[in-house]
Amino acid sequence: MDFIKKQFKKIKDLFHFNSKKEVVDFIIKLFFLISTIVSASFIVIIIVFITREGIKPFVTDNGGIGSVNLVRFLTGTTWLEGTAFKSNLYSVGFIIINTLYISLLSLLIAMPIGVLTALFIAKIAPKRLSEILRTVIELLAAIPSIVYGLFGSGIILVFVYNLAKGFGVQSPGGNSVLATVLVLALMILPTITALSEVAIRSVEKDIEHGSLALGATKTQTNFKVVLTSAKSGIFSASILGIGRALGEATAVSLVAGNARSGPTLGFFQTTSTLTSTMLQGLKETIGIDYDIRFSVGIVLMVVILLTNASLNFVKRRIGNVHVK
Amino acid sequence: MSMSSKRKRIDNLLQIITYGAASVAVVILSLIVVFVFKNGSGLINLDLITNDYHAQYYNGGIENVTSFSNTPKPDDLSEDDYYSLKWGIALTDDIDREGKPIIIVSYIAEDSPLYQMYDKNNLDNDSFAIEVENIVQSIKFYEKDSTLSIYGAQHMINELDAESEFREMVFTSLGGGIRGSLITTLYTIGLTLLFALPVGIFTAIYLNEFAKKNRLTNIIRSMIEMLTGVPSIIFGLMGLAVFVPLTVRYTPADSANILSGSLTLAVILLPVIIRSTEESLKVVPDDFRFASLALGANSTQTTFKVVVPSALPGIMTATLLAIGRIIGESAALIFAIGTAIKDDISIFGKSTTLAVHIWSLLTDEPANIELASTISLIILMIVLILNISVKLLSRSYLKRV
Amino acid sequence: MINNVFTIKNLNLFYGKYQALHSINLDIERNKVTALIGPSGCGKSTFLRCLNRMNDLIDSCQIDGEVLYHNDNVYNKNFDVISLRTKVGMVFQKPNPFPMAIYDNIAYGPRCQGVKDKTELNKIVEKSLKNAALWEEVKDRLKDSAMSLSGGQQQRLCIARAIAMEPEVILMDEPTSALDPIATMKIEELINDLKQNYAIVIVTHSMQQAARISDNTAFFHLGELVEYDKTDIIFTTPKKVKTEEYITGRFG
Repeated sequence: MDFIKKQFKKIKDLFHFNSKKEVVDFIIKLFFLISTIVSASFIVIIIVFITREGIKPFVTDNGGIGSVNLVRFLTGTTWLEGTAFKSNLYSVGFIIINTLYISLLSLLIAMPIGVLTALFIAKIAPKRLSEILRTVIELLAAIPSIVYGLFGSGIILVFVYNLAKGFGVQSPGGNSVLATVLVLALMILPTITALSEVAIRSVEKDIEHGSLALGATKTQTNFKVVLTSAKSGIFSASILGIGRALGEATAVSLVAGNARSGPTLGFFQTTSTLTSTMLQGLKETIGIDYDIRFSVGIVLMVVILLTNASLNFVKRRIGNVHVK
Repeated sequence: MSMSSKRKRIDNLLQIITYGAASVAVVILSLIVVFVFKNGSGLINLDLITNDYHAQYYNGGIENVTSFSNTPKPDDLSEDDYYSLKWGIALTDDIDREGKPIIIVSYIAEDSPLYQMYDKNNLDNDSFAIEVENIVQSIKFYEKDSTLSIYGAQHMINELDAESEFREMVFTSLGGGIRGSLITTLYTIGLTLLFALPVGIFTAIYLNEFAKKNRLTNIIRSMIEMLTGVPSIIFGLMGLAVFVPLTVRYTPADSANILSGSLTLAVILLPVIIRSTEESLKVVPDDFRFASLALGANSTQTTFKVVVPSALPGIMTATLLAIGRIIGESAALIFAIGTAIKDDISIFGKSTTLAVHIWSLLTDEPANIELASTISLIILMIVLILNISVKLLSRSYLKRV
Repeated sequence: MINNVFTIKNLNLFYGKYQALHSINLDIERNKVTALIGPSGCGKSTFLRCLNRMNDLIDSCQIDGEVLYHNDNVYNKNFDVISLRTKVGMVFQKPNPFPMAIYDNIAYGPRCQGVKDKTELNKIVEKSLKNAALWEEVKDRLKDSAMSLSGGQQQRLCIARAIAMEPEVILMDEPTSALDPIATMKIEELINDLKQNYAIVIVTHSMQQAARISDNTAFFHLGELVEYDKTDIIFTTPKKVKTEEYITGRFG
């Protein structure tokens, strides 16, 4: 107790505080500040530590195996040539293409459905129905991705397997590009719908009335004026959606089939994404086969950043120009 | 006139497409719920929650049986419970959590000679005994063929009843339960909130009450905001690279563990908690602060006695949302806690939360869809309850303001 | 009679239980500017929106009485409200161009009616912009977003957009209240030109504006039509005391 009192007095004298209250104030504020610094520092910690682990395969000789060639890593078409822990021939080039391809396709499915659902909720449905649908969307958004994964392996895999059979294709248990795209589309649908709805609802009534006063029907107004006015918000929703699709891991890993080489663009072929690759073979905790997952993590972050940046660039470009 | 009828047709078409799109969401939700319920509801009962996941195998031997049971078949047993008067045991057919046929002990009489069985694997085990709900795998006799569970309970009882001794009875505990994963989930929720709530709330208070509105504050804000864009699998890598070595070094842990998982989740949740708390702090009118300061309270007193209590509903909402996220999170935890399903839970050891338990079941060969659905059903119900609570909470809060 | 585009008979309007208009009787003349004046909340904007049935968009709005457009009651059950709005254009208080190109703003109405022919649309766009005195300012940037125009230009664009439908009547709901004096002057000049071809009904807060541009003036107060006459009569020798009090600025 005496010790604390002494420290108190020290701080009081050091900073010329006038009362004990001010010292308490100072200490608690310091505490708050430290919390804030801790919170803000995690993004740095993530980048630093993942980079530190992730560059190991490229800059060390990986316990005698030899370092991984960066160009080959980024452009190759087979995940690993040779045996794990004995080879340095890792590549994610095809996986990058797979990941972008799958995310884009899922966006192509989810965006029109999501935007139209948002339009329905915001402008067409009666109030009660809107409330119900909004709750449905909220619940879909709240369902954890592992449950989507379960749904994917229980229903979508079976569906895709039978569909493939209908086309005369033998699909390995339904694990395929199509199954992955469908699961991802389901998962990003609530995100896109909820954000698009906000964008559509914030379109000014004036603009809508302007269209109606010109003799346009309600439907013409909705499609030609309301959606056009909300396009920037809808675009943002899609950017967030594709971000989620790129980073989604567990559900995807359960339906992708984890192809070891590629790129695989056929709907019924097995595939692999950056995330599903990271979830493969987690048994070891040291060595190149472990470190390489961090390298894939870096690639994933860079892919997400670049996609976001380029989509935002496109958004700014079309934001000012007329889109029909 | 033809123009306007054409317009009507196009309008109707667009309208129908919109209705169709909107019904997709409803169809998906219904499909998911129906699927999970159909596959999962069969296994849901109290045993599931209280049982271990890994079945224990027992080999029981018995020698020199002198006195047999003479308890008659109890009335509360049904026709499907086959009873051996001599051995005082009732067996019944059932299916396990993977859908395979098994034989379950449904009753043992108090004077059953089976209590004289000893553990053939561990002669010093005094607490060894067959119990109701154990699964009988086989009974091996001296003179004749063994009776196996695939022949059914009736056959097993008949074979047993005909003998007055046997070489070995192989039985197992039920297994397939989720007690361990449930405890891990609870530990994880507790520990994560313990780390994330104070740091998150303090950060929100600092940013909203004390921080000057300058560039540095903006940078700090956007650094925290950036965390929301990071996919959870990346947080998992961070947990693996930072928290796992840290806990291994300073605690008894020797691999990924609940503590490292909780720390990882805490980082994921920080932006959620900070934003939610800050939003509710912003609603507190400045008049309250001025009034308190004018009464001679210092700024921390004002913060704790006036501002924070007003922000409590926001903090509650954040907590509920956080719990939902913890229960559902899988990708980060696969790295940060591990994927080994355990029954003995220690916060310094590997284990799985319910969500990761599902992942482990689905990546098994063959995938156990039934048990995975049952756990999903539990998760869905919890998530639903949390969502409704958040709605009610915010509604009652809005009413009050 | 033949010169009236609208004849309003005994019009009552309710918002739920609240009665916003009390038995209004009024004729709107062809090729004339009719100004609706009165203090805020007097029902003049509500009345204006009855003429193209924009009040339909408010759920609780109930109407009783007749609004005859060329002897057809627009509130008849089988009256085609869409074609009414193509013939009765409207300009709103705040300029509300669509967030698309200038060209597409003007072409929007005709396109909604099914006009697809490029040359015809080009003709409509040019003619409408010329009539709205905007052509010279925008002819080189028709593909630019309408949002890049100034407030006054945006309002003239909205007028051009209404003209593009070749309506018979243009309703204007305080079209200059959000504009600066110079832009207001331009719009007033435009209104003066437009009355050669259209009947214009304008709601205005400014009595000077009503006096400057209108031929007839209707004075509303508390949901009732107090007085309706030639503008110079209203502003020089009003018959009702309330009207005189209002135009001399004793209340409002």
